[in-house]
Amino acid sequence: MIELHHVSKKFGSFTAVDDVSLTIERGQFFGFLGPNGAGKTTTIKMLTGLFAPTSGSCSINGFDMQRDPLPAKRSIGYVPDQPFLYDKLTGREFLYFIGGLFQMRPQELRLRIEEYTEAFEIGDFIDRRGEEYSQGMRQRVVLSAAMLHDPKVLVIDEPLVGLDPRSSRLVKDSLKEKTKNGLTIFMSTHLLEIVEELCDRIAIIKQGRIIYEESQSSSRRSDGELEAMFLELTK
Amino acid sequence: MREILLVLNVKATTFLAGMLDLRIASLLKNLASLLIFGGVAVGVFLVSRGATGYLLQQAHIGLFLFHRFLSMLLYVFFITVNLGNMIVCYATLYKAEEVNFLMGLPLPHHQIFILKFIDNFFYSSSTLLLLGLALLLGYGSYFSMPWYFYLFTLFVVLLPFMLVAGIVAVIALMALIKVASHIGIRWLLAGVVALYLSAIYIYFAVSNPVTLVQEVMKHYPDVNAYFGYLDPPFVRYLPNHWVAEFLYWTVAGDPTRASAGLVTLLGSLLGLMIVAGVLSRVYYYRSWLAASDARTGRSGRPLRFQIRILEFGRPGRLSGQVDSLLRRDFWIFFREPSQWLHLSLMILLLMVFLVSMRSLEVKLAQPFLQTVSYLVVFLFNGFLIASVSLRFVFPAVSLEGSVFWCIRSAPVPLRRVYWQKFLSSFALVFLVAEVLAMASTAMLRDNPVLVAVGALCTGFMALALTSVNLGAGAYFASYREKNPIRVASSQGATLTFLGSLLYLGCVVMILVVPLNRYFEILILRGSSAPSSLVLPVVAVGVLSVLLFLGSTAVGQAALRRDY
Repeated sequence: MIELHHVSKKFGSFTAVDDVSLTIERGQFFGFLGPNGAGKTTTIKMLTGLFAPTSGSCSINGFDMQRDPLPAKRSIGYVPDQPFLYDKLTGREFLYFIGGLFQMRPQELRLRIEEYTEAFEIGDFIDRRGEEYSQGMRQRVVLSAAMLHDPKVLVIDEPLVGLDPRSSRLVKDSLKEKTKNGLTIFMSTHLLEIVEELCDRIAIIKQGRIIYEESQSSSRRSDGELEAMFLELTK
Repeated sequence: MREILLVLNVKATTFLAGMLDLRIASLLKNLASLLIFGGVAVGVFLVSRGATGYLLQQAHIGLFLFHRFLSMLLYVFFITVNLGNMIVCYATLYKAEEVNFLMGLPLPHHQIFILKFIDNFFYSSSTLLLLGLALLLGYGSYFSMPWYFYLFTLFVVLLPFMLVAGIVAVIALMALIKVASHIGIRWLLAGVVALYLSAIYIYFAVSNPVTLVQEVMKHYPDVNAYFGYLDPPFVRYLPNHWVAEFLYWTVAGDPTRASAGLVTLLGSLLGLMIVAGVLSRVYYYRSWLAASDARTGRSGRPLRFQIRILEFGRPGRLSGQVDSLLRRDFWIFFREPSQWLHLSLMILLLMVFLVSMRSLEVKLAQPFLQTVSYLVVFLFNGFLIASVSLRFVFPAVSLEGSVFWCIRSAPVPLRRVYWQKFLSSFALVFLVAEVLAMASTAMLRDNPVLVAVGALCTGFMALALTSVNLGAGAYFASYREKNPIRVASSQGATLTFLGSLLYLGCVVMILVVPLNRYFEILILRGSSAPSSLVLPVVAVGVLSVLLFLGSTAVGQAALRRDY
């Protein structure tokens, strides 16, 4: 479960996120939409502990990200908007590194790496160094890293950027499957068709404020309805 | 050309906006920079003026010999600027993201080359230019030169001299990248290091300062004459010689002969600019492509070495998080040629220093000279430790880079990340420092008290300098910069280095009087009084621990900043 309670973030005199409150229940696939510079990535960075909120609080499964960061972070898998990897480590080494940071048992870690190598079809390049990867390869390794420790909450910033159609399908199917098993997903994206296909619930942020929020899981929207609503609300 | 001016204008505006930032934190930072840079510049000025006066008035070495020493100093200066430009040039002209962006614009490649060369030159040489100016002021003020001498020498002599070093570096780099595409970057870098070391060795072997001094001193006291026939022929083709000749004939009051060196320097600069311009038109883009291929491993086999026990996935003795962080640091370090090669070079230099120590004689009769010789060696050790720390410890936090997200979002206490960095860096610096201290003091003196004092104070220095560099490196962290050498030559790094020198100065000030007293008792009374050195060693310890605590607090707070 994810809770944002009156969260604001200021950079000097500029307010990037202004009094945002959201609650996302267990097993929900939440879509976070907004135009460029609306405050989506800032919100996500506060949710994952990369930014400290100026006021308000974020909690994951009941743990406050500022007061209790370690248990909060243990529950999270995070996929940033730019899938940066270490140039000099191979994909497999990166996954071992992340598993070590999450203090996974070696045997379990080895099995998980094999599992995601197969699930995201990264076996062909997992033993090559990060400096040789394309954007899509990096994205798939980062997604594997985010899921490695079996998180309760997945926070994803633009998950499908750079993926080819086949990889995109793999990721979407994997995410849908995970939510059925109780994984909570907080996803920020510009791709409205992805939101329509995957998300149970959405909110739209503009100039740091939530301007639209579905109170509960919505039924399927008709084609183009979300786009029309988004354009109207954000104009 | 308009495009270059436009981009330079944007860069200058951004730089000025940073300098003229009126927020209190920025003002304090700029003020601190000004104080440290200013302090060091004043120090260099005083040393330059004092050394000139001492050599000419006390040691009576004469104008000719003085300017030949100056020429040797300028040679080392030239090599430093040249090597600095070459190292940073690779990052600026070939690796920088900005070049990728500029290559995609409708800009001629040679214009990108010029733009990045200017960027590179001022980035890597501005501190040396400041030091050069301070040296020049000290030198000129001794000879009571008029104000226009400084302006003229700065802009028409010193700056062109440094530009020659920079242009030679960039031309050589373009050629080397061509060679690298055949033999691989690692072997090439090793070759370049060997070449530079040979250049320094051959220069000093051929110009042989000892023979020169002996030859000139045969004419004592008539040492002010011009003994140009003693110069080896090849030295006359070096830019440092032209500058030294210009200065010699200027202070000797013969502007006609002074202009000969100057014309040669400016002519060479012009020639090199033309060569660089032509080469950049025909070869910069191709060498940029070759460098891109080399970086992505498409141009050859990566060098693979394996230490199975350190491979990921192997059982380790440490906790999972520390174990992972250490393995990552190890592999990233040894797979980056600029890191291990620089480390090898520094170890080689340390060995050269230790070997040359063995030939030093310090059986001096005067206590003060004993104190000075002890402190000079001690200070030189400190300078080496400060350099090693700056190069390898300062960039440690910045090198987390864009991938820091994975640590910041993982359940790792940032304290642990900081301590892991500190302890692994401290182990390296402490080891280097103690080997240096024990070897240099033990080689020079068979006095266990002095060896112990050296070892203790050096240990404290290692603690202070490691923590200062790590803390300041975190405070000035630039996560966007991938090149450790550029991080270690940034403004923050320069400030940290100057701060380290101030700390070394304080340590020497604490030790000088008690050490002198110790040597007085030792030499004049023939007895040892180790108790007189306890308090100064404790004072050095307290100062170092305070710096360690302060730097650690600053560094840990900086690590927690928004990422």
